[in-house]
Amino acid sequence: MNPPFSCSPIAIRLVIRIVLMTGILATLCGAMRAQAQPSTQTNLKVLVGGQHRPDIFRELLKDYEAANPGIKVTLESGGATSELLQRYLNTVLTARDTSLDAFLIDVVRPAQYAAAKWAEPIDPYLGNEREAFLSRYLPQYRTANTIDGKTISLPAFSDAMYLYYRKDLLEKIGEQPPATWPELARIAKRVMAQEKDPNLQGLSFQAKAIEGTVCTFLLPYWSMGGEVVKDGKLQFDRQKAEAGLAMWRQMVSDGVSKANVSEVGTDDTRKEFQAGRVVFGVLWGYGWNLFQSGADSRVKGKVGVVKLPAMPGGESVSCMGGWSWAVSAFSRNKAETVKLVRWLSSPEVAKQLAIRGSMQPVFADVFTDPQVLRVNPWLADALPVVETARPRPVTPMYRPISDALRLNTNAVMADARKPDAALGEIEHRIKRALR
Amino acid sequence: MGRNGQERAGTGRRAMNITQSKRPLFDRLADMNETALAVLLLAPAFVFISIIVVYPVATLVWNSFNDVRLLTGAASRWVGLENYALLLADAQFWRATKNTMIIVLVTVPGSLVIGLGLALLANMPFRWRGPIRLSLLLPWATPLAFVGLIFAWFFHSEYGVFNDLLQRAGLAPKIWFNSPALTMMAICIATIWKTSSFMALMLLAGLQTIPKSLYEAADVDGASKWRQFTDITLPLLVPSMLVALIFRTLTAIQSFDIPYSMPGPGEETQTLAMYIHMNAVDYLDLGYSSALAVVMFGLSMVTTFIYLRYVKADGK
Repeated sequence: MNPPFSCSPIAIRLVIRIVLMTGILATLCGAMRAQAQPSTQTNLKVLVGGQHRPDIFRELLKDYEAANPGIKVTLESGGATSELLQRYLNTVLTARDTSLDAFLIDVVRPAQYAAAKWAEPIDPYLGNEREAFLSRYLPQYRTANTIDGKTISLPAFSDAMYLYYRKDLLEKIGEQPPATWPELARIAKRVMAQEKDPNLQGLSFQAKAIEGTVCTFLLPYWSMGGEVVKDGKLQFDRQKAEAGLAMWRQMVSDGVSKANVSEVGTDDTRKEFQAGRVVFGVLWGYGWNLFQSGADSRVKGKVGVVKLPAMPGGESVSCMGGWSWAVSAFSRNKAETVKLVRWLSSPEVAKQLAIRGSMQPVFADVFTDPQVLRVNPWLADALPVVETARPRPVTPMYRPISDALRLNTNAVMADARKPDAALGEIEHRIKRALR
Repeated sequence: MGRNGQERAGTGRRAMNITQSKRPLFDRLADMNETALAVLLLAPAFVFISIIVVYPVATLVWNSFNDVRLLTGAASRWVGLENYALLLADAQFWRATKNTMIIVLVTVPGSLVIGLGLALLANMPFRWRGPIRLSLLLPWATPLAFVGLIFAWFFHSEYGVFNDLLQRAGLAPKIWFNSPALTMMAICIATIWKTSSFMALMLLAGLQTIPKSLYEAADVDGASKWRQFTDITLPLLVPSMLVALIFRTLTAIQSFDIPYSMPGPGEETQTLAMYIHMNAVDYLDLGYSSALAVVMFGLSMVTTFIYLRYVKADGK
């Protein structure tokens, strides 16, 4: 005899079937209702890199959708580094794909987007307000996004390389942050001798074959007044380039920097500084937020930020970073996308990005906004650095030039190529790219 | 045979005539002359191959004579042999070709020797044969890029297992990826690990076609195991080996995934395929990258040709 509440296998199967059928019906109904919605809705799709805090952008875009009924914005996040994101966009845009409406591009790329005609110039959409609209941005960001008089993209956030240092360790031996690279080496050696910690390195900088290593090459080179490309032609000063590489090599041979610096990428410097294993670090602006408020940070309250040291007799320069919003030339909703991008590069959004993600604004008055400064007190000192940061070579052929510089710098720092041979190859490759 | 054949064909035709009303298409096909029938039957395959092989290869060759740089925004223009001239003067092209050749010359014999050993082991009649055959499949089933990433960790200067072993043995750890030679060694080790199982599977199939009776006869004649290996196993394995070697050499010439995920200093360990990818995908310089690809295509053709000549000569 069956107990009164037993479930036979047939009954179970029946229940499963009912549940499944209900599910399918509900999905179908939902799909039909979605179809029946008014066709006035505009769907836009924007792409940011994995490093750009898609979480914050997603929240901000919800505000935009709420304020603009009829607009739906989908956020896609792509490649984690500038090169990977661009490789993806190369494929999408060469295929004239219409599915992406706007994307973040690295500050080094507007020239490429202009030449390849991948970006819709913004100017016609600005009309009479063009001058008033563009003059709000920091001048060098306006310049960086203007190619041959056309506004290719709108600045989203700025960035620059800084010298982070351990305030506590320098105070202990009564030293001020260094003004030149040799001075940095001297102070670092003193700190290392004082601390006697085998895990503590004097200076962390990047020489892995990444985009940031272009800046590693350019910092001392620029500091001595060198240029790479002028009026579309190679202008290479071998002596200055050699002196710059020699300075970095000296850091390694003196034991100030680790021997495996050719394996060190941007975030390696950040992680090691955050773990308290670095006296001086050359790094972009994103480090501050993590050093001061990262859960596992061992350097909370012990970090100082100053402009980068100079070569002896040279000037202090920084590498200009940052990202811009470009509207796809293949978008089917250009007018709506330009409207969205104008909002995304507005002072209000810049302020939110600074407060929520410590991303540096592209407006002078957001740098000094009290609410922004409360979260990022260092931004007060950052503005002069950003204002003097220099753009990497502006040319549609930036990518081959970047490769020539970073791969050769990486090979020299790994001791795999003699500086002389590396410089010869840099010259040869850039000449070929600019042919 | 001529008359017989005609008669047979005639009978066939008569047989078809009976079913004419039911299958007119077959009948019409049967009435066609042989050339027309051949053309008709080959046409779909020809169209298909034209679309997926001939057209892309022809475009590639055409592009290699043009300046097609999408980044400049300029229209493509005919430049004749300029891309090939640039290529000959390009130090990186020669470096990439040298690296590719090193990978071919080290990993093809390497995986053949290790693969043969594994195949012989898997062919032996003992109780662990099943698990051994299964484990042979593992490296083969692992995606190439995964293998590269896994070995890149093995050789990492701070977190890698190889440096840990060196230190335990009282030796100084090495920064593997700082040295082109050590990086090439690491790439070759990873490639041999990955490709030996393919070799082993191909050779195992070959081993199983060798009749047992040959070994039994050799045993009766009192031949040693080594003698049996050199006089029976190896000669009879040559056809399988050649097929496996063609495949292995071609994939070695095209090496991309493993060297790409285990980069050495700068571009010191770049292969030809990586250099093509860099010029095509990153620089969008389709003219130059096509010229490079034509060279690689030529290398593959020459290799295949040499092997096939060898197979033919061996067959005679």
